[in-house]
Amino acid sequence: MKFHTVIIGGGLAGLVSGISLQKAGKSTAIISNGQNALHFFSGSFETLEEVPQRMVDLLEEAGIRTHYQPGVRLMPLGTFRPAALSLEDISLFPTPRFGKKVLIVTFRGYHDFFSSFLAEGLEKQGMTCRIHPLDLPQLEWLEQSPSEMRSVQIARTMDRIWEVVVQEVRILLKDEDTVVLPQVFGLQDTSVPGRIRQGIPAQVVFAGTLPPSVPGIRTQMLLKRRYELLGGTYLMGDEATTAHVHDGVVHSIVTKNLDSHFLEADHFILASGGFFSKGLKSNPFRIHEPVFGLDVEQAPDRNDWYHPEFMSDQPYLSYGVKTDAGLHPLQAGAPMKNLYAVGSILGGTRPEMGSAAGLAIRSALTAVDQILNQPNA
Amino acid sequence: MNHNEFDVIIIGGGITGAGTQRDCAMRGLRTLLIERSDIATGATGRNHGLLHSGARYAVNDPESAEECIKENMILRRIASHCVEETDGLFITLPEDDLGYQQTFVEACRKAGIRAEIIDPDLARRLEPSVNPDLIGAVRVPDGSVDPFRLCAANMLDAKLHGGQVRLHTEVTGFIREGDTIRGVHTRNRTTGEEADYYAPVTVNACGIWGQHIAELAGVRIGMYPAKGALLVFAHRVNNRVINRCRKPSNADILVPGDTVCIIGTTSTRIPFEECDHVAVTPDEVTLLITEGAKMAPALSSTRILRAYAGVRPLVSADNDPTGRNISRGIVCLDHEIRDGLKGFVTITGGKLMTYRLMAEIATDTVCRKLQVNKTCQTADTPLPGSEERSYEAVAQKIWETPSMAQKAAAARLGTRASSIQTHDRLDEALICECEEVSVGEVNAAIERLDASTLTDLRRRTRIGMGTCQGEFCACRAAGLLAKAHGCVEKERDDLANFLQERWKGNFPIGWGDTLREAEYTQWVYKHVLGL
Amino acid sequence: MKLQEYTESKHNFEECMKCTVCTAYCPVLQVNPRYPGPKQAGPDGERLRLKDPFFFHYALKYCMNCKRCEVACPSDVKVADLIQAARIKYDRSKPKLRDRILASTDFMGSLARPFAPVVNGVTGLGVTKTLLDATLKIDRNRTFPKYSGRSFERWLSRREKEQAAFPEQVSYFHGCYVNYNFPQLGKDLVKVLNALGVGVRLLDKEKCCGIAMITNGMTEQATRHAQHNVAVIGKAVAEGRKVVTTSSSCTLTIREEYPNLLGVDNAAVRDSLMIATRFVFEKLERGATLRFRPDFHKKVAYHTPCHMEKLGWGVFSEKILRMIPGVEFTLLDSNCCGIAGTYGFKKENYAASQAIGAPLFDQIRTINPDVVACDCETCKWQIEMSTGYAVANPISILAEALE
Repeated sequence: MKFHTVIIGGGLAGLVSGISLQKAGKSTAIISNGQNALHFFSGSFETLEEVPQRMVDLLEEAGIRTHYQPGVRLMPLGTFRPAALSLEDISLFPTPRFGKKVLIVTFRGYHDFFSSFLAEGLEKQGMTCRIHPLDLPQLEWLEQSPSEMRSVQIARTMDRIWEVVVQEVRILLKDEDTVVLPQVFGLQDTSVPGRIRQGIPAQVVFAGTLPPSVPGIRTQMLLKRRYELLGGTYLMGDEATTAHVHDGVVHSIVTKNLDSHFLEADHFILASGGFFSKGLKSNPFRIHEPVFGLDVEQAPDRNDWYHPEFMSDQPYLSYGVKTDAGLHPLQAGAPMKNLYAVGSILGGTRPEMGSAAGLAIRSALTAVDQILNQPNA
Repeated sequence: MNHNEFDVIIIGGGITGAGTQRDCAMRGLRTLLIERSDIATGATGRNHGLLHSGARYAVNDPESAEECIKENMILRRIASHCVEETDGLFITLPEDDLGYQQTFVEACRKAGIRAEIIDPDLARRLEPSVNPDLIGAVRVPDGSVDPFRLCAANMLDAKLHGGQVRLHTEVTGFIREGDTIRGVHTRNRTTGEEADYYAPVTVNACGIWGQHIAELAGVRIGMYPAKGALLVFAHRVNNRVINRCRKPSNADILVPGDTVCIIGTTSTRIPFEECDHVAVTPDEVTLLITEGAKMAPALSSTRILRAYAGVRPLVSADNDPTGRNISRGIVCLDHEIRDGLKGFVTITGGKLMTYRLMAEIATDTVCRKLQVNKTCQTADTPLPGSEERSYEAVAQKIWETPSMAQKAAAARLGTRASSIQTHDRLDEALICECEEVSVGEVNAAIERLDASTLTDLRRRTRIGMGTCQGEFCACRAAGLLAKAHGCVEKERDDLANFLQERWKGNFPIGWGDTLREAEYTQWVYKHVLGL
Repeated sequence: MKLQEYTESKHNFEECMKCTVCTAYCPVLQVNPRYPGPKQAGPDGERLRLKDPFFFHYALKYCMNCKRCEVACPSDVKVADLIQAARIKYDRSKPKLRDRILASTDFMGSLARPFAPVVNGVTGLGVTKTLLDATLKIDRNRTFPKYSGRSFERWLSRREKEQAAFPEQVSYFHGCYVNYNFPQLGKDLVKVLNALGVGVRLLDKEKCCGIAMITNGMTEQATRHAQHNVAVIGKAVAEGRKVVTTSSSCTLTIREEYPNLLGVDNAAVRDSLMIATRFVFEKLERGATLRFRPDFHKKVAYHTPCHMEKLGWGVFSEKILRMIPGVEFTLLDSNCCGIAGTYGFKKENYAASQAIGAPLFDQIRTINPDVVACDCETCKWQIEMSTGYAVANPISILAEALE
């Protein structure tokens, strides 16, 4: 099968590449080895001050509502982090003290939302908090399963019964100026978070839960839908195994499912992610890139890959494939001519690209520009 | 009588201390156990968890071998919920001397250990993971034992017999009158609270740290710290213990225990200062994998979950640099006889397998000093939880159609599984999905088994011991602990400490799926949850 | 190999990062809280079962083996294989009579076919449905697939000479459905392949692929069928022919389940077996041409069957349909229709089955196509029964569009 560009990796970087190319009228295929890191997305795309308008437009065209306001956001364990461009669900504040009296609403028996941590974190900022677990008969069916009182399952129910939550919260509200709710709204129906905000006569802040992240899954779903609507071919659950390369030019990709049926293209984008996504693999001897055997930045001695403190910056997280200035990855020191590396596979050593999500989008747009600006494009 | 006066104070919450407290309490003594950290944090929780048949010692140390096989049979009776009767093999590989097998079997028989030479073919059938190239095999009654469970059950029984336990409490000094120890000064390491406790006898059961405690009391014991490193593989490769049939050496025992299997160990002399933070070196990791894969080739391609090391509390007898030839024999010192210091006893040496015997010897000494004439019952009375022989029976008795988590709870707690509160369906919700630990089981451990931190909970319930190493369960359990203790700020630190403790065992083997998991965990806690 | 250079366990369960993505995509979990979910039933449970088969839980039977967990898994864990393998290894309960009847598709077919008008009449009767519901716990709302009076095998064997005249030959694994219930699909395939200059032959007596036997606990029968089919397919392959199929589930079973669940080695035939749309696509890619009716116009919505998603071959059916002049194409969202073979026929699963399929049915109604395209016969029954829209195999649509 022949395409203009074949993209390896169906996460944020891969989808942004695919959507941009399809929009430019190019045929593309995305090989996605299962679902991706968007399922663990915090909801904030960018921490950098400057956000490319294209980034915002691309998301909006896919139906992803974002807002931009450099400041801080509330994290699930009651801490605050800087954030700028975020999903509309994520409230952004100039300072951590966003209210005076806060009502934190959770669900009975729900352990993936950390109401007591949130309360303690907010109280540290001088707010007073009240926690109320809702006991909704509509969630009783989940209680029957010991492992399913989890965010995604609750969200599925909430798509149908979010109005009940609005009513309950309205009854519960006393003199609180702010309500904190778990991010379990708008899995399929993207309008729900906004409608909840309209329905509750107080400031509504959605706080994250243990992954999978409901806004993250929604983001993935909308991007994929947009990509397919533009005519893109999304090969879910397939894996690029090897590539046919001659003189630094990639001709085709072999995948697990299509075996002898190669995917040919003029250009290739490698958006296969970091260790979790298997864009990078490791064994006791080295860290390597499995599809093309690209050069990977790394300390030669395994003992230097780690910092003994869990929360410190881990050297291994900064490792990624080496590239030239045009994001062409190097193989044995020489750049691959029609291959571009984008997203987490670049490693964490490019602060100019911003956060992980920022890096994914910026590098994808850079690669797409180069592909489209070529004389024979 | 004052609330801080006892008949005997036991220092050390390892298996020896817990066993001694149980024995003393069962003989009617008022007991107090003081542990500076948590149960089983020293050598007790840092070994293979092998229920030795004694075969390993049969050739070099027949005395230990005999003790082992006797205690092995006793533990099967009294600690059924801590023990798995897996059976074991001593295999001879082509590079080993098959002649040793005969010496070995004879020594076993002399020590009273049933050792049966079997055809290599039968060995391959009995244990499909075994190196198919083996040229000889001997079947012995090895098994596995969960040291955390065993320790907790002993302590719980002591409490049921009126004993008291102070965890996270450090002995800062002794209350001494002339040549007599009258009690101890202590400080709670969490709250900083100080307290004095009095008893006519104090037992030092601190393993390798016993040397320091003895010094505090003013006597000297020559201890010999020997580090042993081990690797935990992420699932059970073998269902029978596999040993090498040769002179005891490095990495020649592979033990299946609960959902994992463990290869070990090494033996390296270390300075005393390192006892509190032993780390596994890359060379040790390589050695363990290389030797392990010789016994079970699947280990060369099985995910490793973590690396850890313990310090053997050997009492030095000679200057052997390897420490292998030192007897693991039991040492019970009545310091009145040895050093002229009254009211102070040290029990050390020995091994996990012989803890009950050590406790019996120590308790005999205590009783003699207190002039109490009671006999030891610990060899015949089952530990709480071990009243039934099988967890199948337990599970079926408590729940007609047990869920996966209920079956797992029955396997962990034995008959004590009935104490998990299930008045609410929500108590059946899972906190740890890898090891199937429910809200009810976690709450029961917090309320009845003195768990105050996530790491304490891990030792009592196995949360965080599974494949994900606490990725999801840690913060769920932290929520329950915060609720139980009413202190979120402390719990936040506890969560960070727990993740740090898990990482410590992960990074020495940080490659492949373990590194993937680490990247994921670090991402979730740093960027998604905001710890 | 260097030590620890690769770490892989059977069905890769240790590659599970516990990310729980599979549970978010499991259709059963969304409707049946008694099912422990793919992660618990699969990689989590496996570690316990390795310790002791006692930890096997009967609720694993609620897994309908749709494989959506495997498609979603970012770690390549064979979640559904783990669950099905555990059922094969540890489940000691005997399959019920009902399950044996439902699973024996070819045996039942060969019995019923000669009496097709009678059988179809009887199974369609309200009283029969009530009886089946009460006695065998086959849900009364189900419509039984009708049996065809004449088998496809008989139809094709009469055209042996005519087919042999084509310059190229393939063998066709038609499956029970085409043979006993819907020979028209087979005839459509013959039309399409003939138009490409390819003649169609039968295999040397194929047997049911055995998928329903696997999910209904009839492992031994399934294994015998697997061995037989690998042998007869192997014969065709040895004679230089490709083997085409029109059912995604039969294809997945032969390619993946035979080696992974039944331990039947299919290495010699695996790559020569492919779904017809892939075969046609590759033919066209290599320069073959088809002549289409100029007046053909259809609004087609393509539903990728779960097993087609697992195969990763939906793209071929999609491309073929998009290529037909006059087709107005929509790709339906990736959703399970809920039937999962015999799963939805069972009374205890009926409600769950319909609830699982609801989002798909809703989308079909919104799009309001002329025909729903799909490569799976059980999806066809389910969608037709639940929505009233006609469902056709992409090959049938292609055949209809040909001149």
